[in-house]
Amino acid sequence: MTHRLVNILLVEDDEIDVMNVKRAFSKNNIKNPLFVAGNGVEALEMLKSVIIPLPRIIILDINMPKMNGIEFLKVLREDEKLKNISVFVMTTSNEDSDKIDAYNLNVAGYILKPLSFEKFISSVATLKNFWQLCEM
Amino acid sequence: MDMKESENNCREELIALKKEYEEFVYIVSHDIKTPMRAIINIATWIEDDLGSNANQDILDNFSLLKNRVVRLENMMNALLEVSRVDKTKMELYEVNIPKLVNDCIKMLDNKSNVEFHITYHLKDENCITLGKKLEKVLFSLLDNAIRFHDKEKKNVIIEITENDADYEISISDDGPGIPEEVRDKIFSIFYTVNSKDVVDTTGAGLTISNKIIKMVGGKLHYAPTVSNGSLFKFNWPKTISI
Amino acid sequence: MICSNILLVDNNKIDVVSTKNAFSTLGIATTLHFAESENEAWSLLQGDHKISPTPKIILIDINENGLSGLNLLYNIRRHPDLKSILVFVITKANDDENKVAALNLNIAGYIRKPIESENNIDFFSILNDYWNIIEYSSEKK
Repeated sequence: MTHRLVNILLVEDDEIDVMNVKRAFSKNNIKNPLFVAGNGVEALEMLKSVIIPLPRIIILDINMPKMNGIEFLKVLREDEKLKNISVFVMTTSNEDSDKIDAYNLNVAGYILKPLSFEKFISSVATLKNFWQLCEM
Repeated sequence: MDMKESENNCREELIALKKEYEEFVYIVSHDIKTPMRAIINIATWIEDDLGSNANQDILDNFSLLKNRVVRLENMMNALLEVSRVDKTKMELYEVNIPKLVNDCIKMLDNKSNVEFHITYHLKDENCITLGKKLEKVLFSLLDNAIRFHDKEKKNVIIEITENDADYEISISDDGPGIPEEVRDKIFSIFYTVNSKDVVDTTGAGLTISNKIIKMVGGKLHYAPTVSNGSLFKFNWPKTISI
Repeated sequence: MICSNILLVDNNKIDVVSTKNAFSTLGIATTLHFAESENEAWSLLQGDHKISPTPKIILIDINENGLSGLNLLYNIRRHPDLKSILVFVITKANDDENKVAALNLNIAGYIRKPIESENNIDFFSILNDYWNIIEYSSEKK
């Protein structure tokens, strides 16, 4: 992320959590263009036609209607053009089975949504620092 | 209908009721958390947008709002925990009793002015039991002893005696004790002797401990000490059949 | 809370010492294991002398001395017990061909390390913070 700001796609159905991400990004001065999809189906549509260039980062919730995070991830990993996008799961699910499924589909990280907004800002700060180290 | 049939019906009904209860508690504590968390988040955003120059009354009210929602969330968590007492962390493994007690003490907050007096009368320091459950009970009682203490310097006395069939464990303190009028209420979930504004706690520790002790076949008693502090005594059977 | 074991694959002895020191200075609460080659790394991941519990994080420090990590990565991704491991490729170099291949094998990050090793502490501090906010699936022995 050295010279240009990559696109980021947020796949999340809860409007409060979407606002949380936007606010935390703003607090942390993250200026990357942020696209939002409400579920896996919408996300795939946006990836096929709307988001240009393709995002290098996807922030993914697990529990969503129509197509949940794991199902979306399976489809993503099977698509030649999309399969190497870095995915960071952000969810309330603490179930080991979800973690296993996510890591088996090679997410770059699995993050539990913290209870307080302050903790969330701090987690996003850590993510930002990590993203800045990565070549995408 | 004969005895056997009606007995079977009762058993089936009991199983169905238990399942319904568990589902209810899970939904109440799990699904309700989402809008609760949203309320805390939104309150934080508004506070944030108002900035520190805002009317102090408004900021105070938002603080109260958030505090009450956090309390709500803690109560949900307590409900969830009470309902899952016999479902999670039910492994039997070898426990070293003095080590378990020390581990519990290490996990306590605010133990700076606390002196622990520990006595063991054990034939064997080790035993095979539901380690996580015993740990929970010990921790809750110790935590209560400290949290509800009213003096600068606090004394907590732990005594564990091994009998043939069980362990007798008592945890006492030189705190304010529990008034006689409310002694029968203390095992109810969410009950606290003082208002929750005075001591911030959900009041579920004793309920959970009592449920665990009953589950393993023991009994938990309260009695005042000589200095009018609190004494909690329970027996923990060596053989646990659930 | 970080996972129990991390495997570092690095064939540059000076880099390894520098990494060890950084971990120690930062007090990173995990056991760091070392392999000098992709083969050695592979033997530490499966087989009789494998690290237990299996590391959830592998750091491959690629450099000009021929270590590309791609073979190891390819084998990890094909192994049912190892395929979910988080792999971070660390590099000082500018190797785009390697990068594309590694990204296609879904590494967790292709990370640029500072050339001056004095800046290693900050570098590993950021990684450590990241490793502390993510969840890990339960460890298998």
